Amino acid sequence: MSDIDMSLYEVMALPGARGAALVDWTCGLALGSAGESPRGQPEAAAVEAAELARCSVEYGTFRPPEDDGPDGAGREPDGAGREPGGTGRVPGGTGFEPGSGSAGLGGDGPRRTGGTGVEDLIVTTRTAYHVLRFVETGHDSSLFLHLWLDRDAGNLAVARIRLKETARRLVLG
Amino acid sequence: MRTTEPPRADPPSSATLPTRQSMLLRLAAEGATGALLRDTGTLYLRDGQVSHAESSAAPGVDVLLTAGGRLPRAVWDEAAARTGRHRRTGLGRYLVTEGLLTPGELEICLLTALHDAALFALAPGGGPTRFRHGVAHGLHAARPVPAAAVEQEARRRRRLLDDVWPGPAMDTAPLVRRPVPPGSSVPVRHRALLDLADGHSTPADLARRLGRPLFHVLLEVRRLATAGLLAPPRPPPPGPAAGADDVPPRDSPAPSWAAEGFVPPDTALLLRVRAALEAL
Repeated sequence: MSDIDMSLYEVMALPGARGAALVDWTCGLALGSAGESPRGQPEAAAVEAAELARCSVEYGTFRPPEDDGPDGAGREPDGAGREPGGTGRVPGGTGFEPGSGSAGLGGDGPRRTGGTGVEDLIVTTRTAYHVLRFVETGHDSSLFLHLWLDRDAGNLAVARIRLKETARRLVLG
Repeated sequence: MRTTEPPRADPPSSATLPTRQSMLLRLAAEGATGALLRDTGTLYLRDGQVSHAESSAAPGVDVLLTAGGRLPRAVWDEAAARTGRHRRTGLGRYLVTEGLLTPGELEICLLTALHDAALFALAPGGGPTRFRHGVAHGLHAARPVPAAAVEQEARRRRRLLDDVWPGPAMDTAPLVRRPVPPGSSVPVRHRALLDLADGHSTPADLARRLGRPLFHVLLEVRRLATAGLLAPPRPPPPGPAAGADDVPPRDSPAPSWAAEGFVPPDTALLLRVRAALEAL
């Protein structure tokens, strides 16, 4: 059984869930999907949701100031941190906990792998919510969970909590 | 699950499927198990579906996991050695049962590496195709991908690259960063990439050092060039020194932006027409 599929089924168990997908926002590929797709086109939905997610990550407006460089212009504070043997990772200890080891999904420095600064996005329409939850992995990746939720039957607050838990469990087990 | 419907809205260059793609789909229809070998990479089939892919161009699962520090290299090497006697059978299972990796993260890495390598394995001009029945790989996706979906994604990726910045000029050249305009800021992921654009490293070098799929780096490089944060590719050298793959020099006076090496869109069109003709 695929773990990605299990995570998506977990999200689909939410009341009012219509569709869910795990999407790579750099390239717009859905690594997995469950339920319906908006307009019946899963590929197009993944591409479009990925563009929205990418904009939110790449525009400085939505980025916490501490995730910026010293002058906000991307000068390298510890630019070699990602290189093998660099100082940005945690070579001590076991050395292979994912960056999102703490429940807060944040606060462990801007260099955490896969960290985007943005935690989730919510798009509200007359009939639905779309919740995009960024997934932080221990390796370098650019993933988010996309939940399409019926607005009448769904509970946005519960959905956000479930997505956060699912995103964490997908990576941490 | 397995569909062979023609791709929607493809450019003419890929509407006619070359022989190698037909071979993949034919093997998929037969439910074949084995390795599809090309000069540019290998696709592993299991019961007609793609379970794994490798390419010398693209970082493997090991690089994705070790370069960014998710797993120490020594841990991976030891795991590979312990499970290696039987063609690395069970390497994935070993990593999971030893608690080194969760099944979810392993699956994400495997699928990411699969589509990355497939892009190069299925590249036009990737040489002849051979199939070795029965060959398996120790790493395989928990949920194999239908062959048609792998092909479709590879085509989509090639289009996506050309939509951002036409032509492969930046794919193999050393990257040179440009100053960030005052007042703007660069996201962490881009900063990691720009910091390595030292005038010597190519996108493939960056992919290996960052532990990112090569396609992602190629795409980000073209996006960063569009945004003016990476220097555009140099124009091809004029005269007979230019290789067969280079853009022929234009007789008409070049517009000002051409001096910076921006490849004019009509050249991209010509390249697509040529690719279409070659694919016939």
